[in-house]
Amino acid sequence: MTSGVRTDRATAVTANALGGGEVVFLASSSPSAWTARFEDAAIFDSDVAAEAALSAAAASDFKVVDAYLIALDNSAGVWTPLSLRERIRALGPTTEPQLGPQARGGRVVEALQAADSAARSSGRIRLIRRR
Amino acid sequence: MYAYDGLDRSLVRDRVDEFRDQVARRLAGSLSEEQFKPLRLMNGLYLQLHGYMLRVAIPYGVLSSAKLRALAHVARRWDRGYGHFTTRQNLQFHWVKLSETPDILAYLAEHDLHAIQTSGNCIRNTTTDPFAGAARDEADDPRVWCEVIRQWSTLHPEFSYLPRKFKIAVTASAKDRAAIKAHDIGLRLGRDAEGRLVFEVLVGGGLGRTPHIGALVKKDLPADRLLSFLTAILRVYNREGRRDNLYKARIKILVSELGLAAFAEKVEQEWAALDPTEIDILGTELARIRGQFALAKLDPRPAVSRGFEAARTREDFARFARNNIAPHKVQGYGIVTISLKGIGDTPGDCTADQMEAIADLAESYSQSEIRVTHAQNLVLPNVALDDALALFEGLRAIGLASANINLASDIIACPGLDYCALANARAIPIAQAIARRFEDPIFEEAVGELQVKISGCINACGHHHLGHIGILGVDKKGEEYYQLTLGGSGAEDAAIGAVLGPAVAAGDVADAVEALARRYLEVRQPEERFLDTVRRLGPTPFKAAVYEHADTV
Amino acid sequence: MLILSEDGGVRAVEDRFTVLGDEEGAGRARPVILSRARFEADAERLWSEGFELGVRLAADDKVEDLAYDLPRLAVVALEFPKFRDGRAFTSAVLLRQRYGFLGEVRAVGDVLLDQAFAMVRCGFSAFETRASAADWARAIGRYAVVYQTSADGRQPAFLARATKS
Repeated sequence: MTSGVRTDRATAVTANALGGGEVVFLASSSPSAWTARFEDAAIFDSDVAAEAALSAAAASDFKVVDAYLIALDNSAGVWTPLSLRERIRALGPTTEPQLGPQARGGRVVEALQAADSAARSSGRIRLIRRR
Repeated sequence: MYAYDGLDRSLVRDRVDEFRDQVARRLAGSLSEEQFKPLRLMNGLYLQLHGYMLRVAIPYGVLSSAKLRALAHVARRWDRGYGHFTTRQNLQFHWVKLSETPDILAYLAEHDLHAIQTSGNCIRNTTTDPFAGAARDEADDPRVWCEVIRQWSTLHPEFSYLPRKFKIAVTASAKDRAAIKAHDIGLRLGRDAEGRLVFEVLVGGGLGRTPHIGALVKKDLPADRLLSFLTAILRVYNREGRRDNLYKARIKILVSELGLAAFAEKVEQEWAALDPTEIDILGTELARIRGQFALAKLDPRPAVSRGFEAARTREDFARFARNNIAPHKVQGYGIVTISLKGIGDTPGDCTADQMEAIADLAESYSQSEIRVTHAQNLVLPNVALDDALALFEGLRAIGLASANINLASDIIACPGLDYCALANARAIPIAQAIARRFEDPIFEEAVGELQVKISGCINACGHHHLGHIGILGVDKKGEEYYQLTLGGSGAEDAAIGAVLGPAVAAGDVADAVEALARRYLEVRQPEERFLDTVRRLGPTPFKAAVYEHADTV
Repeated sequence: MLILSEDGGVRAVEDRFTVLGDEEGAGRARPVILSRARFEADAERLWSEGFELGVRLAADDKVEDLAYDLPRLAVVALEFPKFRDGRAFTSAVLLRQRYGFLGEVRAVGDVLLDQAFAMVRCGFSAFETRASAADWARAIGRYAVVYQTSADGRQPAFLARATKS
C-alpha cells in the first residue's frame, strides 16, 4: 500500500441472504463464508481485495442477493460502517432496539449505535451485479 | 362486505401455486434476481434493508374481524409480532423470509387474503374513502365500484407490464377522504341532473419526483361504462407512456407531455373503438356485488344516545368523541377512527395483540368490519353511540385511544431509512419527536387540524407534498436533513406544498414544526385552519418562525 | 419454437419461417419474416413471387399500420425488447380483437415463461423461447378462473356467474 492510503478506512462486503433475506457480511473466519454478525465480518484494506474475496464467495452454497462493498470507518477505535444506512443494516431499525442484530448487544453493537460518521448517500462503494 | 365465491378463491389459490413455483425456481437458481424481481414485486415482496418485506393487499381498505385475526397470526408466526399499515390501505410485514412466503400466502388465501399487485408496474390496490357505506354525504357506496375495478384489474393480461405503477382511487363524496387528485386515476362518483350515477374521471395525479394534481378528462361518464373507459386510458398509457426513463414513466408525464386535451382525445378515440359489451360490467354482476355491500341491519337507535351524552361529561372521552367520531348516515351511530399514532408510537404500526383486540372490538361494536385509512389509521364504521364509551375503554386497554385524528400528532410517515432500501433519511423518529411536542392535548386541540406528512425520500410514500406541513428527508453529504413544505392538501382542495426554505437538521425538525404551529396561533383569524392561514398569508411569517434559530444547509 | 395447437395444448415445432435480412437477396419463394422496413419496401414483389410473408414489429410499431395487409400476412411477430416492456400485449389484443387477424401472432425477443399466461390471453399463438412445451403448457393452464374477457375467448368470472344463476 502506498503511504497516501488512510488507515482509518477499510472495506467490508455485504449482501442479503437469498432465502432468509437477513443482512450478511463476508466473514473473517474462512473464505466464502457469510455471517449475520457484523463483528465477525472480514475487514479488507482495499476494495480490490474485497472484490476478489467476493468473487471467490460466488462458489459458496450460501446464496446471496445484491452483494456490494461498503466503506468502514475507524475514527472511534472500532470498525463501523461509514454510512448511517449501513449501520442501520448492521443493527436493525433505530426505533426498535429489540429487533435485528442489535438485540444481542455487546461492544461492537454499542460502537455502531454510537457512531456518527457520515458518508455521502448510501456508503456503497460500487454495486456489483450478481446473477 | 364483499365475500369471495368459489371463483375468486380459485384464482387466489392458483396465484399462490404460481408464486410457490417461482420461488422454488429462484431458490434453485433457474430464475435470476433480475427476472425474479418484477415477479416477486407483483406479489408484494420487496427486499428491504433488513430482509424481505411482504405487502398484503387490503382491497379498498376493507377488513373483517376474521381477516384481521389472520393478519395477526401471520405477524406472530412468520414476522416479529407486528405489521405496518400503509398509505395505500395495505399492511406490510417487514421481517419475512423468501423461503416462507409461499406458506404465508397459502395461509392468507385460506382467509381470502393475498398480496397480488401490491407492487410492480401494474394496477395497484384501488383505494377509497374509509367511511364508504357509512358516510352521510355519499352518492353511492364506492366500495361497489372498487370491487368492480378489483376484479377487472386483477391479473389483467394486457396491463400487467405497464411503464410504471398505476394507482386508482374512488370517492363518492364531495369531501375527499381518498386523495383522489393524487392518483394516476381519480374517480368521483356522483349523480347527473337525471339522477343517474356518473363518474368524474381525473387523470395524471401523483406524487414522487414531479408531483401533479390530477386533471379532469371526462365528466358524466355513465357509471356502467367505467371499465371500458378505464381500458381506454390504460391502453393509451401502455402504448405511449415513456419507458426510456424511470422518472418520466408515470401517466402524469404522458398527460403533461401530450397536453390534457390531446391525451383526452386519444382516450376518447380508443374508447369509441373498443367493444363495450366485452368489457363493461353486466347489470347482474353489478347487482350481485352491490348486494354484498348492503348494510347489515343496524338496530334503530334514538337520535340522542343518553349513554353517549352522559359519557361526554368525562373530558378524556369528550375529546375522543370530538376528534375520532364522525357522523354516520344511520341515526344513533357514529364512525370511529382508531388512531395508530399514539405519542411515541411508530405511525401505522400495530402489534398482533392489538390486531386481535381490534378484531374483537369490531365484532362487538361494528358488525365485524374494519377499515384501513390512507392516513395509516383504522376505522370501525358502524358503531352505535350507545357503545362508544365501551369501545373507548376497550381501545384504552390496548393503548389505542389517542384522540388525535387530523391533529398534529396524527402524522403520516413512511418507514424511512429504518426499514426501506430506497430511503435517504429516517421518518419514524422524526414523527415521534414531532408528536411529543403535541403531547399536551389542550395545546394540540388549540392548534386544531394540522396534517403533517413525512417521506424518507423523493418517492413520497409519506405523501409529504400533500401535508399542510410536508417533510422530506434528504441526504446532505451523508447527514439526514429535512426539507419543509407548506400548504399542501390531499383533500378536495388538493394542492402541492411549496418549499419553505433550506432543509433543516434532523434535530431541528420538531422545533420547526412547533414553531410553525405557534406562529399560526399568533396570526390566525377565527375559524381558520392552519392550512387556511398559510394560504391567506403565504410563507413569509412562517419562514421567519422557522429560520430564526434552525441549523440549516 | 412453441406453438399453441388446435386443442389448446402446446407443441414444439420447427420454425417454417426464416428471417430475411434487410440487405439479403430474396432467393426462391419460401416463408420468410421481414422487418417492417423491408416489408414496406418489398412485400408486393415478394407476394407476387409466391413468398409467404410474416412481419416483425418493434415494440413501438403500431399494428394499425398493418391493417390493410393483415389478410395476406401469415405471421405477425411482436417483439419484447425486455420482458418488462408490455406494449406487445396491447398490439396482440388489437390484432385479434380489432382487426380479427387469424394468422400466427408470435412472441419474439425477451420471452419469459412467467408471461406465457398473459401472452396466450392476449392472443399470441407462437413463442420463440427455450422453455419446454411442458413448462409452457403448465404456465398457460395455471388459472382455472379469469376475470376479464380477452383475445383468447375464455369466459370470465362475471359471465360464468351470469350463466350459472
